[in-house]
This record gives sequence, structure tokens and C-alpha cells, in this order.
Amino acid sequence: MHIRSLLYFLGEALKSIVRNGWMSIASTGVVAITLLILGSFMVLSVNVNLVTQDIKEQVQIALYIDESADEETRAELERMLIRHPQLEQVRFVSKEDALTRLKQQLGDRAYLLEGYEDLDNPLRDSYELRTIIPEDISDVAREVSNYPGVGYLDYGSQVVDPLFQFTGLLRWIGLVFMAGLAVTAIFLIAHTIRLTVYIRRKEIMIMKYVGATDWFIRWPFIFEGLILGLSGAVIPIIILFYSYQVADVWMQSNIVFIALIPPHEIINEMVKILIPLGIALGVLGSFISVRRFLKV
Amino acid sequence: MIEINHLYKEYGKDVQALNDINLVIDRGEFVFIVGTSGAGKSTLLRMMIRESLPTKGSIKIFGRDITRLKNREVPYLRRNIGVVFQDFRLLNDRNVYENVAFTLRVIGSPTKEIRKRVPHALELVRLKDKAYKKPDQLSGGEQQRVCVARALVNRPAVLLADEPTGNLDPGTSMEIMNLLHDINIRGATVIVATHAKEVVDHFQKRVVVLEDGRLISDQERGVYFNAH
Repeated sequence: MHIRSLLYFLGEALKSIVRNGWMSIASTGVVAITLLILGSFMVLSVNVNLVTQDIKEQVQIALYIDESADEETRAELERMLIRHPQLEQVRFVSKEDALTRLKQQLGDRAYLLEGYEDLDNPLRDSYELRTIIPEDISDVAREVSNYPGVGYLDYGSQVVDPLFQFTGLLRWIGLVFMAGLAVTAIFLIAHTIRLTVYIRRKEIMIMKYVGATDWFIRWPFIFEGLILGLSGAVIPIIILFYSYQVADVWMQSNIVFIALIPPHEIINEMVKILIPLGIALGVLGSFISVRRFLKV
Repeated sequence: MIEINHLYKEYGKDVQALNDINLVIDRGEFVFIVGTSGAGKSTLLRMMIRESLPTKGSIKIFGRDITRLKNREVPYLRRNIGVVFQDFRLLNDRNVYENVAFTLRVIGSPTKEIRKRVPHALELVRLKDKAYKKPDQLSGGEQQRVCVARALVNRPAVLLADEPTGNLDPGTSMEIMNLLHDINIRGATVIVATHAKEVVDHFQKRVVVLEDGRLISDQERGVYFNAH
């Protein structure tokens, strides 16, 4: 595209945005609100993911070996565990190791365990198992529980199962919500561009008579949509940036144990996602109108 | 330059807007196309700029059958054909200069070219002193002159005028026709669809008469009266 034409298209688009006044403000506003909700949701969801990721990484199966199992059964169990394709880590923890660890955890009060060493050790030999995909843990646990030599299993099923259900649900709600908002934004931009096409119908007709190419006629509308979408993306980024900083400071001073993703990282992500998304919404919206209402 | 062969246009089954039109117009000619409203004048002009397609037949302009042009080729045809309308079709939010410059801007002419050609076109229609007036500050005749300037600023080989004096009083009509005549003398082929009898009779040019979609008469130095 020639630079002269580009400037012409931009000029026409800007003129038309100014001329449409309130309608431009309204559609930019709706894109902004849409992307603000979407952005807030993304901020929330990446932070929830961060927290759940933490939890997920700690999720493991503790498999306690049946004390009556003989050497051969124990060896068979270990072979089966190592061969299991969904397991990422199979670590043997002897009851001596377990006791040492418990002592460390008790710290000052480790003396409580004195006398339990050697043969009196009440703990059991166990394996610590981690699955490659954290969500597989329930299935794997169920399967492994039937292996020979297994005493009992513990993987915190009461905590883990609902957590995974919740994060899965959150992701789905998020997707549906975002899709709905995106459609709304496209619709509104399409409507604004349609209005522009209507206002400029005489001009378009003359352009056709004097031999402007179809794309020459279309470009200003595409640019108009692009500018509306872009402005609609910049506003929520600014709002999110400042409000997230406030939230971050508040979280740091009030809820110490949850660390949020740092503001600048979030904003980089937002810019990378919301700007192209705003532009895409704008361009898509104007494309729909240009195709349907601009008979060139 | 323009060669129309066995041109038919039907709207639906019953309406025959054009019925076997055959017409040859040479370079530099001035032709009146006359007839009552509904005779098919506008339909014929619309086909010459590929605004609509005939049901049957061909229209050769500059040696090419324009009924076979691809849609994306149509703009380039139109750059060589200026059009003047009865209702002027000026943009009221722009001044005279911008209305004329518009033609050049939308076909991507360089600014230098626009600065040179627009004043020249305005001079030709004698509106240079009103270049910065808005259309609604002008009289009907002046508005039509702006429309003519817009049509010829790109120096088209052909100028089509569809009832250019339809909204003007007789004196002003003559003024516009004189202007179109001037443009013809400067080399452009001019085709005027009209039913202004006085004007046609005055100029003694070629007159093509349409009636109910048929070409019923084609005379050099004709008068409108011949139509009836």
C-alpha cells in the first residue's frame, strides 16, 4: 500500500470517528469494557493458576507397603511402579528415612520420637509417587492400589479431587464468558461501521462513479474498526495496570502467603494479548459490515 | 470509440427497458440521447459505465467489450468516463475545491497532480473564485458546474451527462450545455441524455431518439421535434 493512500485512509477513518462522535465513544467503550472484564478474568485466572500450580506440584501419592509382604513381592511392586507410564517419579522412602524426616519436621520437639528408632519404628516403608500430569493422580492411585504388596494409599483425595474439578470448571466458564464478550464487541463495532457506511453512502457512490477501486473504498472502514478496537484495548490495559498494582500492594501487606505475579509481567502479557485482540475485534467487526452493507 | 451491438435489457419478464439497441459513437462526437422518461436513456448510460449489465448484447468502449469486464477492472473503465448527474451529487460537507479534488484523491493521484489539475478544472467551469465555498452556498447552475468539473478533472475521454439540466431553469440549462459543448470542442466525446427540447434544438447536434426501449431515430444535426 502506498504511503499516500495509507495516510488518506487513516485520515478518513479518524474524520469518520470524530463525525460519528458518540457512536464511536460508545463502541470503543464497549470494547474497553469487554476487554476489561476479559483482562480482569485473565489476571485472576493466571493468579489462580499460579496458586493451583503450586498445589499441583505438591500433589503426590504416598504408597505404604504392606508389612507382611516378602522380598519378592516388594521387588515386583517396585518393578511395576517404575514401568508405569503415567508416573514421573517413584521414590522409595524407608521407614528410617521417614522417621528422620518426621524428626526434622518436629524440630525442637524431636525428642518425642526418641526410643522409636530401630525395631520400634512405628512408621512404614513407602513410595512417594508423582504423576506426569497432576490431574491423573486419582486414576493412577486407583490402579496402583491393586498392585501386590500395597498396604494402603494416601493422596489427599478430599483436597485434590475438588480442586481439580474447580480449576477445570473455572477454565470452562472463562472460555464461554470470553467468547460471549468477544461476540458482543464484534457486533457493536460492526454496528458502528454500518452506521459509518450509511452516513457516507453518498460519498461511496461518488467514489464508485469516479473509479475508486473496491479496496480503496473499503480500507477507511477497516481502519476505523481497527482504531476503535485498538483504543478499546488501550483503556483496559491502563486501568488493569493501575488497579493491579494497588491489588498487589494490598495482597503483600494483608495476605502474605500468596504471592501474586509481578505487575510488569502481567502488563506485558496483557499488552501481548489485549492489543491484538482489540485490533482483531475491530477489524473483524468492520469486515462484517463492509461485506454486508458496502455494496461495492 | 463506443460500439453498442444488439443490446437488450429486461427487468423481469415483462419490462423491456432496452430492445435491440445498435449505436456507434466516434471519438470527439457530441450526441444527445432524447426521449420521454422511461424511454431507456438512463438505462443505456448506466450500462456504459457498467453500473448494470445488459441481458444480451455487447458494449465496446475503447475497443473492449465492457460487459465482459471483471468486477475489479470496472474502476479503471470508469476513470476514463466522467459522469454528470441531474441531482449533482456533491458532498455538502466539503468545499468546491475538495469536491473536485475528491475524484483524484480516490484514484490515488499524487498531491502535486491534484494541486495542478483542480484549479485548471475549476477555471474551465469558471468557478475559480468560488473554490472555497460549500455547495449549499452556490446556485443550482454553479453546483452543476462543480459536478462537471469533478467529472472532467481526470481528463476522461468520454463524458456522460444524465439529464444535466433537469433541475435547472432554461437560462442556466443553456449555460451548462454551452459548457459541455466547450468540453467537447476540447476533444472529449460527450453524450447527453435529456428531454430539454430547446437545448437540443439549439445545438443542432446528433440526436438519438429512444422510445419504449427502442432506438427509433438517429440523425446528424437533429432536432428534438423529430422524436414525435
